[in-house]
Amino acid sequence: MRQAEWDKACERWAIMRQVYFDEVAVWVQAAIAHRKLGQFDLANGLLDSARERFPDLPDPLIELAMLQCERGCLAEAEALAAELRKRFPGNLAVMLNSARVSARRGNLSEALVFNRQARETFEESSEPWLQYAELAMQAKDWSLALERWQEVRQRFPKHAEGFTRAAVAADALGDGSQARRLRLAQEYGNAWLESVQDTDLGENETAHTINPPQRRNWRTFADLVWTKARLNLKSEASKNHLRYLWWILDPVLYMTVFYVVFGILMERGGPGFIAYLLTGLVPFQWFAKTVQHTSNSIVGGKGLMHKVRISPLFFPLVGIVQNTGKQLLVFGMLGIFLALYGLPPTIHWLAFIPIVLVQLMLMTAVSCTLAMLVPFARDLTNLIPTGIQFLLFTSGIFYTIDRIPEEWRSLFFTNPMANILYQYRQVFVENQWPDWSGLGWVALGCVVGLSMVIFLYRRLEPIFPRVVIE
Amino acid sequence: MKSSDLNGMCGDVIISLQNVGVRYKRRGGFLRKPEYFQALEGVSFDIHRGETLGILGRNGAGKSTLLRVVAGIIQPDSGEIVNHGVTVSLLALQAGFDAELPGTDNAILSGMLMGYTRKQVEARLDDIAEFSELGDFMYEPVKTYSSGMKSRLGFSVAMYMTPDVLLLDEVLSVGDKDFKKKAETEMMKKVHSNQTVLLVTHSEQQAKRLCERSISL
Repeated sequence: MRQAEWDKACERWAIMRQVYFDEVAVWVQAAIAHRKLGQFDLANGLLDSARERFPDLPDPLIELAMLQCERGCLAEAEALAAELRKRFPGNLAVMLNSARVSARRGNLSEALVFNRQARETFEESSEPWLQYAELAMQAKDWSLALERWQEVRQRFPKHAEGFTRAAVAADALGDGSQARRLRLAQEYGNAWLESVQDTDLGENETAHTINPPQRRNWRTFADLVWTKARLNLKSEASKNHLRYLWWILDPVLYMTVFYVVFGILMERGGPGFIAYLLTGLVPFQWFAKTVQHTSNSIVGGKGLMHKVRISPLFFPLVGIVQNTGKQLLVFGMLGIFLALYGLPPTIHWLAFIPIVLVQLMLMTAVSCTLAMLVPFARDLTNLIPTGIQFLLFTSGIFYTIDRIPEEWRSLFFTNPMANILYQYRQVFVENQWPDWSGLGWVALGCVVGLSMVIFLYRRLEPIFPRVVIE
Repeated sequence: MKSSDLNGMCGDVIISLQNVGVRYKRRGGFLRKPEYFQALEGVSFDIHRGETLGILGRNGAGKSTLLRVVAGIIQPDSGEIVNHGVTVSLLALQAGFDAELPGTDNAILSGMLMGYTRKQVEARLDDIAEFSELGDFMYEPVKTYSSGMKSRLGFSVAMYMTPDVLLLDEVLSVGDKDFKKKAETEMMKKVHSNQTVLLVTHSEQQAKRLCERSISL
């Protein structure tokens, strides 16, 4: 308290003294207020009157001993303490006072004896324990003080001193972080403090903690892509009432439209044309949907990219896996259609697997390249639908190869999509093995393209998070 | 930029920034002369093992940009940042949440995005459900959650993350009063264990309460 407040206290105790003159506390507290103000004689006078009025109570004598200590009259204080011990044996305040006076005289071991007596007699009371710790503070034995404060905290967790005074001791030891921890523990409790200290001692990785790697290894990355794609499909399905059924309905409706228009209404291309058309259209739709879906994926992932460290390759790959999952059902539907249409499965259908894999590689290379370019030149997104249209008409979906003049055929087949669609037709419509060398060239091109894509992504990885917000 | 209380150094230097500057392109491109916005300029400091370092600054002072630089998400335009082989992560709450999916799936996905393996998240799924106090709501789509429930789930997933250096953007305020206390208690445990923490805040008081030293941007 500040000087002015002690002044006010003195005034108020003076009023209290007139009303409640038969209460010992009124006198003793007034004496304390005066002592704090340095008015020792006034305090002494009050205590003398109190002693006369309350000869059977220890309180005035105890305060008198404090006053003598403050005045530097340590011998008188000691005499008072001895008198108190004789007259009031087994009184807690008296024991604490004796310890205080002894400590003031510099006799810490004697103080400790009195304090121990108090602690043993009044184990449930907090004061002796607080004094016990304060004695260590007085001796400037900070680590001992910290131990004793810890005991205070355990016995009396609600006592602020157990935290705040321990923090002072920790500060004196030069352990700033422990001091701060102790002050915070006042807010969060002792159990918190102990658990913090436990983790200090524990191993790096306990059951409770995970230290994520700076960079994922490829297996964790693949698992992440797979999980995200799978959950995206689940999320997509849960938006509709018919859920997963749409994955079948959508391609069935799509194929029906082409069947009705080209197969029945226009009767174009003669018998077998509808099978020819669909074996080209179904794989092409897979390609088109995937490219459209993934081209903007890195820009779309900017929120996530700024939150966690993740390879930008993640975003297009998820789109590819997601579309591939759906496409497998569509291929299933195509197979059923072909069988019903009069083109039952043959041994050549086995070649479907390598063809699909090559197309997957091609889509990965194209999708990742576009997704990589779009953040740098957003205008590109406007060109992508046109590009896909162009590809739709140059890949030989609506016409057969023999319609193309001989001299243009090699140029036609440099379009890898045209090449892949041709292989599908070989297998499904012609019931032959695919043109392995053509497929091989496309595969080789894809491998080269993919290596370049991976290389570029590695180089550009730190640039993407900047580019997507600019 | 000024630094206070430099004598509070503890462990060895694990990350050091030297004269780091970051600028964003505001407009311009192929055809026009580009204009830039300087988000950070000449920032230098060291991060020592085990310390809690506060970064103080007003809105727009570049605090979040600085965290992204330290996390390795973006590279500075000038100066350099040296990481002496430690793992650094931002505490990302609700990263990659999908409103259509149930809490369990979101917990797994969010955890994996933060850098856990699937096994690690799955092993803690019961703890996450318990800590977030979501009960059977764990199996309901996140779109049915209140915003408090969402943030409770987000925090419960993220709290297991203990990289060498943890980056915190503001001390969290998640959920209702009781959960906030619980989350704060857990967070403070992290800040005051031997974890190295970089705490971004605009409250000087907060920095004084929690950090060994602080830097003003």
